[in-house]
Amino acid sequence: MRVSPWLAIALLSSACAAPAATEEKTPADVALEQGEKKTSTDPAVNPDAAALAEFKMRVDAYADMHKELAKGDAKPQETADPAKISATKQALAGRVQATRVNAKQGDLFTPAVQPVFRRLLSPELKGEDGHDAKEVLKDDAPAAGTVPFKVNGKYPESQPLPSVPANLLLTLPVLPAPLEYRIVGKHMLILDMAADLVADYMLNVMP
Amino acid sequence: MRRLSIVVVLLALSIASAAQELRLPNKEGSVKFAVIGDTGEPSSGQAAVARQMADWKSRFPFTFALMMGDNLYGAESARDYERKFSAPYKALLDGGIKFYAALGNHDDDGQIQYKLFNMDGQKYYTFKPQNGVRFFALDSNYVDQKQLQWLDKELAASGSDWKIAFFHHPLYSSGATHGSADLQRGLLEPVFLKYGVNVVFSGHEHFYERVKPQKGVAYFTIGSSSKLRKGDLRKSELTAYGNDTNYAFMLVEIAGDELYFQTINDKGQTLDTGSIKRVGDVKPNPNVTTQPVVPQAKPSPVQPGPTQAKPDPKK
Repeated sequence: MRVSPWLAIALLSSACAAPAATEEKTPADVALEQGEKKTSTDPAVNPDAAALAEFKMRVDAYADMHKELAKGDAKPQETADPAKISATKQALAGRVQATRVNAKQGDLFTPAVQPVFRRLLSPELKGEDGHDAKEVLKDDAPAAGTVPFKVNGKYPESQPLPSVPANLLLTLPVLPAPLEYRIVGKHMLILDMAADLVADYMLNVMP
Repeated sequence: MRRLSIVVVLLALSIASAAQELRLPNKEGSVKFAVIGDTGEPSSGQAAVARQMADWKSRFPFTFALMMGDNLYGAESARDYERKFSAPYKALLDGGIKFYAALGNHDDDGQIQYKLFNMDGQKYYTFKPQNGVRFFALDSNYVDQKQLQWLDKELAASGSDWKIAFFHHPLYSSGATHGSADLQRGLLEPVFLKYGVNVVFSGHEHFYERVKPQKGVAYFTIGSSSKLRKGDLRKSELTAYGNDTNYAFMLVEIAGDELYFQTINDKGQTLDTGSIKRVGDVKPNPNVTTQPVVPQAKPSPVQPGPTQAKPDPKK
């Protein structure tokens, strides 16, 4: 078969323009993809979509409320005066506590989403990664009895903030700022990091 | 006999003096900085390290310092910021040194607003002190999707710069108390390799350890700038050099494709020194860096070598 020289040139230049090899995905890329699928709020992808969508709506509403409250003397801003950092936190915490005066356990971790969280975490707590995750939690644990399992309770300033094992984080729904997950003992907290408050908690997440 | 005594004294003086010599090239126009870690304990060790840093600055004019987290242990009132940071490092702050902090597991998020930590209100951030070198401060307490996506984007945009990451938890460590942060490593290391991160500094372990380059990336742990965990470094196959008996800080210089380091204790004595060179170009590959660092010169610590290996109770 005779190939036109112009076609040959076109094919050659298109081959040169394409990447030499398909770019490999990093474990982070794979974990991100899997995490997105497991926490998707699209019912076509995820059977737990409804509970997760409700959870997302509630944490987003918390973040919106927070944004509204973090104004004036409660607005975190860069300062060389550490007294202002504490004062801003206190002002913000006071406003959040006043606004959420009737908040109760389960407002974010709704009864419907709690089993979903347990299902998401369970496989991550097995095997080598699970062992490492438990070691991390022990390693950075605050002193027993110091963290209040109480909505709107203040996270104790003098206690370390336990790091969250990366494999667990990537399997859970992403939280909007200023919310973050923390695991203390067997229990999971959602902390308002800007106000140092417990936004919600779920008991006995860990086996 | 008297002559012999004089010789011995002179020899001792000469060794002590050599231990306090600057071992960095101190080139004009190079990037010069210090590295400290786990600094937030107001101790005699912290004060001595801070004094030494100020003293060495007169010989080696570094312009900024990286902080590896646990910047303030315990309470974080205004008085604590002063007692644990601004008072001990006053001479350096007055001398114009900028501190760039990462967060440790003992640090409250409020620190990101503290102007003297230069975090710009962010838990992870990047800065470029000079053309050709870019730093990435990460929050290893909370490696979530958002941070990984940010890191990927920022590294991809950093081109041919030296890429230096720093954060609290060491990805490789021979510490008995903590050890390597395997879970963070599983996610961060491939990203580092993909974009050719050259050097990583961490703390968390209260000792100094220079790890043999791993997959072409140089790793240093420097978490002994105010706290010390004597006997905690279990020299392992990872260890190129380590010290868990001295409070310490590092001085680092980057000139062209070479990075030089000198690790100094609270008495001003050199514990470790050496240099690395980066070679090759950055080509995305998550499994191996195509811009590895290679040790340049045989390190020649003046002080005795790494801590003796001790039996591992876990084994």
